[in-house]
Amino acid sequence: MRSSCSALKGVGMATIWQSLELMIVKGLPNTILLTLGLIAGGLALGTLIAFTQVYGYRPLRWLCKGYEQLFRGIPVLVLILIFHSGLARSFNIQLPAFVSALIALALRSGAYQSQIFRGAIQSVPQGQMMAARALGMSKTKGILRVILPQAFRLSIPPWTNEFSSVLKDTSIASAISVLELTKQATLSYTRLAVIPGFGAQWTLLILLLVALIYLILTYAGNAALGFLENRLRIPGFETKGRIER
Amino acid sequence: MKRVFLAVFLIGLFAVLGLAQTYDVASDTTWPPFEWADATGNLLGFDLDVMRCIAVLQGYEINIITYDWEIIFDDVGIGRADIGASGATITAERELKVDFSDPYWTSDQAVLIRTDSGLNIVTVLSGGYTVGAQVETTGAVFVQGLIDEGVNVTLQEYTLYPLSVIDLINGNLDAVIQDEPASEASATAQEELTIAGVIRTNENFGFFVAEGDPSGLLPLLNDGLKQLKELGAYDNLVRAYMGTDITKVEAAWVASIGLLDAGDVVAFAASLAELANQ
Repeated sequence: MRSSCSALKGVGMATIWQSLELMIVKGLPNTILLTLGLIAGGLALGTLIAFTQVYGYRPLRWLCKGYEQLFRGIPVLVLILIFHSGLARSFNIQLPAFVSALIALALRSGAYQSQIFRGAIQSVPQGQMMAARALGMSKTKGILRVILPQAFRLSIPPWTNEFSSVLKDTSIASAISVLELTKQATLSYTRLAVIPGFGAQWTLLILLLVALIYLILTYAGNAALGFLENRLRIPGFETKGRIER
Repeated sequence: MKRVFLAVFLIGLFAVLGLAQTYDVASDTTWPPFEWADATGNLLGFDLDVMRCIAVLQGYEINIITYDWEIIFDDVGIGRADIGASGATITAERELKVDFSDPYWTSDQAVLIRTDSGLNIVTVLSGGYTVGAQVETTGAVFVQGLIDEGVNVTLQEYTLYPLSVIDLINGNLDAVIQDEPASEASATAQEELTIAGVIRTNENFGFFVAEGDPSGLLPLLNDGLKQLKELGAYDNLVRAYMGTDITKVEAAWVASIGLLDAGDVVAFAASLAELANQ
């Protein structure tokens, strides 16, 4: 009879391992897809908005300001529910859950990213543009050849922050039944809660495992972006007031 | 021209004959023994297997998808999924959003307590204690009803049951109210919990479809349910899922599902009941 401690431990480890495997195989792809999709969408939107805010005509600038205030001011869950349930009930537009989450999160990330890029563009010293014009470059060329490369490098650190943030925001999509990491974890621990030998206390272990996976993903992403930052670093380049250690 | 027409006709014919109608079934698969996901991701449970058996009997295919409990009635109500099978009690409030099938299960609420708490079902529900329940469930509604009548009890709502059970174990709650089969499963899994008693709410579970039943599914479901009972397979499914060890049922299901895929509902249910009760 399987009553010895070590045998039970074996069964326990196997079950936990299976849960972990299931979370990674079924939940992780959706989390990664959602993160990459929304970051890319946010990037496209963000650069567009940032540009318009810095170089556009006044009415366009107002529109952009309105957009970013709106999408930074609404809680993520509410935004996702609006696209999922709100559109469906009020306008009869039924988007698949993954798509609603993607759109809502991409719009929101676009708002945050636009502020990152706007800040980066505006923190390039005025002198740079003046020097470019003095050298005979047109405004457009000055922006493309002088301002943007610098703005890009300046935006990597805060952008890394945004990446870390949106990766965790994807877990909110579990509320509309997107089968990503967090939702997969709930399937695991609700099952363990009623298995003799386990029980509801194992919820904590499953949640810690999920937290670990998110941690690893965040760390990996940050490391990759840090690598990028170092590769693109221009020795001796600094904005006014920044101390290079 | 004639050949083109013939080709199109044949393709169309095969398409109609080959593709059985497939319906999406929405289920909150976090609630053993009615619906849950096993360790390899198979979705099983009493509700889900009744759905599968009815599908075989009535001649259509189903695709079971995990949905979140809190919005499942909204989602099925507007037709995101064709059928909902999620241990849902038939209530007037829910009837406003969805249409229910004939009842397929009668359930009561059980009250789970710590074995060493010295409470019984009367004292825990009236002595100023805190009772936990899942949001949007009839258990929560029941306790809220008590509070509205002036009974001295507090309700604490949770998104999922294991979270309330954890609080019960560590003393933040004094009781958890949940349908009987699921409560039994919890009590069996944890030695420190027992069922204080059962409240005879006589709730009826029903499958549900979009309001107005646009796809005409309710007659199929009701007819299939009747057939299932007549064949004796219904009783076997009850035997397999209620009061049995979850891991045994999972193993039994994996061993028996081939029979259902081959179209034999009776053999599947019998095999499941047999192996789950060994």
